Amino acid sequence: MISKRIAEAALCAALKTGGDFAEIFCQDKRQNMLTLMDGHIENAVTARIHGAGIRVYCGLNSVYVHTNDTTLAGLTAAAAKAADAIGDAKTQAQVSLVGSVVPNIHPVAQLPMDVPGRRRANLLKNAQKAACDVSQEIKQVQANLLDWDSEVLIANSEGLFVQDRRVYTRMALAAVAAGSNENQTGFAGPGALMGFELFETRVDPEGEARAAAQRAVTMLHADNCPGGVMPVVIDGGFGGVIFHEACGHSLEATSVAFGNSEFCGKLGQQIASPVVTAIDDGTMVNEWGSSNLDDEGNPTTRLVLIEKGILKNYMVDRLNSRRMGMPVTGSGRRQDYTFAPTSRMRNTYIAAGTDDEGEIIATCGDGLYAKTMGGGSVNPATGEFNFAVDEGYLIRDGKIDKPVRGAMLIGRGGEILTRIDRVGKKMWMAQGMCGSSSGSVPTNVGQPMIRVTSLTVGGR
Amino acid sequence: MNREEFIQKLFAKAREAGFQDCEACYAAGSDFSCEVFKGEVISYSSADSMGLGFRGLFHGKMGYASTQVLDEDAIDFLVEGAKTNAQLIESEDEEFLYPGSGEYAQVETYHPALEKVTAAEKLELCRRMEQLTLGMSDKVPQVEGCEIMSEMHETAIVNTRGLNVSGKGNLLGAYIAPLAKDGDKVNSGYKFAFTQDVSALDVESLVQNAVREAVDGLNAVSAPSGDTPVCIRGDAMADLLSTFSGVFSAKNAQKDLSLLKGREGEVIAAECVTILDDPHMPHMAASAAFDGEGVATRVKKVVDGGKLTTLLHNLKTAKRQGVETTGNASRPSYSSSVGVAPTNFYVQPSETAPQTLFQEMGDGLLITSVQGLHAGANAISGDFSLAAKGYFVREGKVSGAANGITIAGNFFDLLKNITAVANDLTFTPPSSSTFGSPTVWVSSLAVAGSADA
Repeated sequence: MISKRIAEAALCAALKTGGDFAEIFCQDKRQNMLTLMDGHIENAVTARIHGAGIRVYCGLNSVYVHTNDTTLAGLTAAAAKAADAIGDAKTQAQVSLVGSVVPNIHPVAQLPMDVPGRRRANLLKNAQKAACDVSQEIKQVQANLLDWDSEVLIANSEGLFVQDRRVYTRMALAAVAAGSNENQTGFAGPGALMGFELFETRVDPEGEARAAAQRAVTMLHADNCPGGVMPVVIDGGFGGVIFHEACGHSLEATSVAFGNSEFCGKLGQQIASPVVTAIDDGTMVNEWGSSNLDDEGNPTTRLVLIEKGILKNYMVDRLNSRRMGMPVTGSGRRQDYTFAPTSRMRNTYIAAGTDDEGEIIATCGDGLYAKTMGGGSVNPATGEFNFAVDEGYLIRDGKIDKPVRGAMLIGRGGEILTRIDRVGKKMWMAQGMCGSSSGSVPTNVGQPMIRVTSLTVGGR
Repeated sequence: MNREEFIQKLFAKAREAGFQDCEACYAAGSDFSCEVFKGEVISYSSADSMGLGFRGLFHGKMGYASTQVLDEDAIDFLVEGAKTNAQLIESEDEEFLYPGSGEYAQVETYHPALEKVTAAEKLELCRRMEQLTLGMSDKVPQVEGCEIMSEMHETAIVNTRGLNVSGKGNLLGAYIAPLAKDGDKVNSGYKFAFTQDVSALDVESLVQNAVREAVDGLNAVSAPSGDTPVCIRGDAMADLLSTFSGVFSAKNAQKDLSLLKGREGEVIAAECVTILDDPHMPHMAASAAFDGEGVATRVKKVVDGGKLTTLLHNLKTAKRQGVETTGNASRPSYSSSVGVAPTNFYVQPSETAPQTLFQEMGDGLLITSVQGLHAGANAISGDFSLAAKGYFVREGKVSGAANGITIAGNFFDLLKNITAVANDLTFTPPSSSTFGSPTVWVSSLAVAGSADA
């Protein structure tokens, strides 16, 4: 990592043409991916990612330059390039950095790179075996073990000079069940902001593998989901992707600051049913979407987005805070040094409610029970969303009936929020990678079981 | 350390550590992008990047490691990392490092004049594109995105068996997403274009098409649920083809992850469907004279008149199946391991105008975009269920806009149910694999919507 002296020189160079703020984000990251297929380890890849991004503001204009060369010469050259792009004034900037130590609230017991290769390989093999033991119909298992250790240093012209280290570990497993000329897959992808102890303290890799395999087998024997408009019960955990896609993205300053969100200008207003309280929290210990600092060097926060249906907060990064005249919320994130940061979700969930899960189904009449959600996407400007149901069941007369495949939920975020009439008591979260303009970042989604009174369900 | 010196030292150190043969894949490039919103530059990014991927055979197993720093430490990191990784590999497949093939095609992927376009000119182009957009309709008060981007990259693969190939390419792209508003109604549309010749970039028609779709969609209504004849516009069909392209990979087939396994020679699509993989198309980002293993690339029909002629192979999958490689070894980045992927992969267009297809279809839907492909499409089963937008086709004419619908079906069925293909070939944005299709008419897809039948 770079010294204070080098950072100061680069920041001064970045400000020499009239910029009013400059920042350096320096990163050194080592990552591993181990892949199992056909029952044996097929691929192992190690990479070192190293570079720095320099950002300069002049009012609301922003320039970003990044480079692999983190020597004094490399950084000042990159800074000069940024300066030339932002203005043509001639100014003398003075930057004096004050280092501070950020307390680490996300302890790591066992660095993944210190774990012997055989032990990592065995984890995948045991998971694969557990998946295959579920049914003879499981014909293929692809399992990845991913880990990365990222050291970041953030310095800016306001004097900030801080470092953070983030260690992530995740297993991603897809089990394929095959019948006559057709295949179905089940997926599990547990992970956390912690080391290899993940698999001893939080996650049972074999249990996760069995659940994924069981989903694939269930879906292999499912009929197609009928299409139409119906009430939909969405289970907890990854079901929270509905809030993430349909509402979360529209509450990011990236959309709100430009009027490209259906929730613009609605702070303090009722935007959701009164049973809905939603939170975005970057401080949850060792959670997949957490960090000590955001990627702009601000401490992460716990942010109430919606309280009893009323819009309380947007997620705001530094540049958009200027644009919106609102304080930053520690939500500035980026995939790595090659991306300028912007406002992003962290661990985002609908808080636990008061409804009994059994009652939610029993009073549903005829509808769809979305037990496991797949991914989805949204256009924040219009609120239009779509997401896939990986494991769905029809509800007939208040009882869970047969499994159905191929269900796709579509609608608008603003509509679905007002149509949630039940929120269950038990909230849990699941891990995902969220893609947006600042790249792909780890995020948790979560919720208890919820019910939406009516949604368009795609099927055939 | 410069690249040559680094590679020389790396190979020497690797041999000392017990590697029999080894290879370096070097990539370097520069990227630029800028975005404008209401005349203001809201993002501006410029970067130079470099990386080197090492792989080598250690007791017959291939180990990989990569770095973005070329110093002494990096040599140790690569050799140690690749060795550790090689020792974990259990797959019994034979691995290859290729000595090079004598003849490589000349492929036009680099246009020197493009490097002379300055950042200021790109910014100006971006501003002009926004102005054009806002001036085109009083229903478009702002853009959701207005961006100009450009990139230049060079790649070289060098190994201890004699391979030494290199290539470079560049491109400039424009992306415009107008946001249309009318009272409470909001709709967005988008279009993009890529070129190596800025003077040939028709920003006006790009903007016009994007604005038309955004404004048309304001009055979109849902469709009734039921099986419906549809035309899928080229860009939407190219997205579908991209999502399901993995089924043409021999690697996936050999892992039981493709339903096309062992079906070479069989009819898998309607007779009007021919699908090509063309790595030699000029001015395309996916074009190259050599593939990720350094093998000379070639043009081939993967589906010919409905019949599957071949799957896509690299050296390993070809050896396993006892065939020649098709030159489709993929290495989307210097840090990736070698896989299999198409280059420019597209449905061959006919001579028929899309309007003729609409007339012959009579009543149905024209699907212009599909959303949720990463979640609502299963490349293994071929099943898809996707949110879609488009237009109603009534008595052969494209009429009002449709939205709030889903289309569902199975990719393998869809290929067989293509009644006709049009002449309007369109490609997805440039990438290491690029997909294309003209508008296709599909006899029937399951549509779900909230309108009364």
